Amino acid sequence: MNTRSRPPRKAVGADLIIPVVATAYAIYYIGSVWDFPPEAQRSGLFMASMLMFFTSILFVRTAIQLARGTAYISFAAVLGPEEGRLQRLAFFGLIVGYLLIVQWGGFTLTTFLFLLGGSYLAGLRPLGKALIFAAVAAISGWLFFIVLLKTRFPLGPFEQLIAFIGASWN
Amino acid sequence: MELNGIEFGALFLNSLSLWWVIIPAVFVGVIMGAIPGFAAHNTIIMLLPLTLAFDVNIALTFMVALYCASHLGGGIPAILVNIPGTGGAAATTLDGFPMARKGLAAKALALSFVASVLGGLITSAVTLLALPLLSRVGFYIQSVEMVVIMLFGLALIAAIAAADMLKGLIAGAFGLMLGAMGADHIFATPRGTFGILELFDGIPLVPALIGLFAVSEALVMLEERTVAKGDTTAVMPTWRQTIQNIFGAFRHWWLVTWSSILGLFIGVMPGAGASIAAFVAYQQARLFSKEPEKFGTGVEQGVVAPEAANNGVTTGTLIPLLAIGVPGGSTAAVMMIVLQYHGVPFGPRLFMQSPTLAYGVIMSMFVAYIFMLIVMFPMARYLSRITVVANYYMAPMIIAFTLVGAFVPRGFMADIVIAVAFGVLGYVARKTGYHVAAILIGVILGPLIEKSFLLVMRISGNDMTAFFQKPIAQILWVLLVATLVVPPVLKWRRNRKINRSADVY
Repeated sequence: MNTRSRPPRKAVGADLIIPVVATAYAIYYIGSVWDFPPEAQRSGLFMASMLMFFTSILFVRTAIQLARGTAYISFAAVLGPEEGRLQRLAFFGLIVGYLLIVQWGGFTLTTFLFLLGGSYLAGLRPLGKALIFAAVAAISGWLFFIVLLKTRFPLGPFEQLIAFIGASWN
Repeated sequence: MELNGIEFGALFLNSLSLWWVIIPAVFVGVIMGAIPGFAAHNTIIMLLPLTLAFDVNIALTFMVALYCASHLGGGIPAILVNIPGTGGAAATTLDGFPMARKGLAAKALALSFVASVLGGLITSAVTLLALPLLSRVGFYIQSVEMVVIMLFGLALIAAIAAADMLKGLIAGAFGLMLGAMGADHIFATPRGTFGILELFDGIPLVPALIGLFAVSEALVMLEERTVAKGDTTAVMPTWRQTIQNIFGAFRHWWLVTWSSILGLFIGVMPGAGASIAAFVAYQQARLFSKEPEKFGTGVEQGVVAPEAANNGVTTGTLIPLLAIGVPGGSTAAVMMIVLQYHGVPFGPRLFMQSPTLAYGVIMSMFVAYIFMLIVMFPMARYLSRITVVANYYMAPMIIAFTLVGAFVPRGFMADIVIAVAFGVLGYVARKTGYHVAAILIGVILGPLIEKSFLLVMRISGNDMTAFFQKPIAQILWVLLVATLVVPPVLKWRRNRKINRSADVY
């Protein structure tokens, strides 16, 4: 009787995301240099074919594993543990929100809102604690990046208010 | 022109007397090096009005001390939160962060500080004694050798950074492909840019680094409460333990010595840089280790080798500037501007007209490392506490503050979007076993390989055999093949030995 236990099946779906994206980009890249003179095409074609060679090996390897039944398709790995999945997705939504608001919200206000929302979503309680944390961190960031290092971040209502107060003072 | 012992002594005392410049520069350098995006050259550019106002001697001392300290600073977040402050610290994450996860952050920091300081001291001493000889290395390294060195670096990273070599190669090749984005080197026509104007100059490196490491790490962080796992009593060691950690790190003096010298030689070659040197040193440390399979799980040598090498590069990149007037890196290029402003000549004329200034730069570096020794070691005790700070503080702060770093170099809002896009790519890579370091190094090397490749093809009249004709290139090809083939062969032999001994019992 064969006592050797069968190795567990491997989840492979998520592994294919990067090769698929990479191959799609390589094809797009080749398309973008298609009308170039040969000299300008050479290096791009070389790199794209190298990339597609490697991804093809992975695709073939995965197909063999699936055919043998040693692997199955699953994308769960990329989303992480089930616990807190919604909060993590909402946190990513906050990052997207940061990108949309920062242009007119400026550094300090956007950072404050992001830190408040982000820390609360990640589990910081009570809300008052999250508020204090966001305010202290945003003001410290403003002092360090904007005042001290003179980073040319877009100015928002907070920076304009400070500039106005500074101008009135003088 | 070479200096005698008395002149070296006078230079040393002169550099020591500039402690009031070196100590603030070390602090600024460490802090800025630890923030991704605020690398040494950016900081020096920001402080340019200050350095231009100083006497040239003081200005150079300030810049050199800041430069060295920033390389040391880059290793701190790499160990504590898996985010390298500079590209040169990317290899430090491989074993530094696993050490921090085990609650050994203080030990990893002590190893990093000792390796950086000792590596910097050794390479600056070697440079002081052998500057004329080292300056000739750059003459022998041309486009053909550069292509092979960069392929060598990329193959190493692909082999090291991922548990599955095929995934490492895919990640590296994808990075190269992304690095080749932007206007081509001959006709300046954009390729693979999706029509986005901000990508016409290619992928900006700092947003790519911040996205791949910082943004993705912050997203992963949310899955756990703190960085350090399990027993966290070792996270805040006593003074006695801190001193033991520091003296314990000196056990690796031999690894520090040859890793830093390796870094020095790689640094002398313009364009090769700290990231390649750190990975080459890491691979060599693993190759000659008695337990190579433990690399990547938090071994001391995995922190020591890359940190010693990237500080060796610091010295190396200044040599082409001093000896032949060609800056070996972006920081050296900024220093060149300051020298120009002060009317100081470069290359051979510098050694003829101002030999004390030329050697003084390296001596300042030597002295800066001595000061770092005193300033940094107590910090190993306190910095490690970051790993027990709750992730609900850390993750949002990492995102909010590193995105500023993505914006700084070019001042484009699009760079923040690029950083987030790379963050998503990095997150998927981390979750599926494609190491982000391989993608990043590909992005860094993509345009450099392409430029050197096209140059070789133009010079040789499209003759591919040009890559194999020169002796240095031939040696490098052999080393490249050996580095890829030897580890699997050694692993196979070890496994066979283990199986045989298992059969005996």
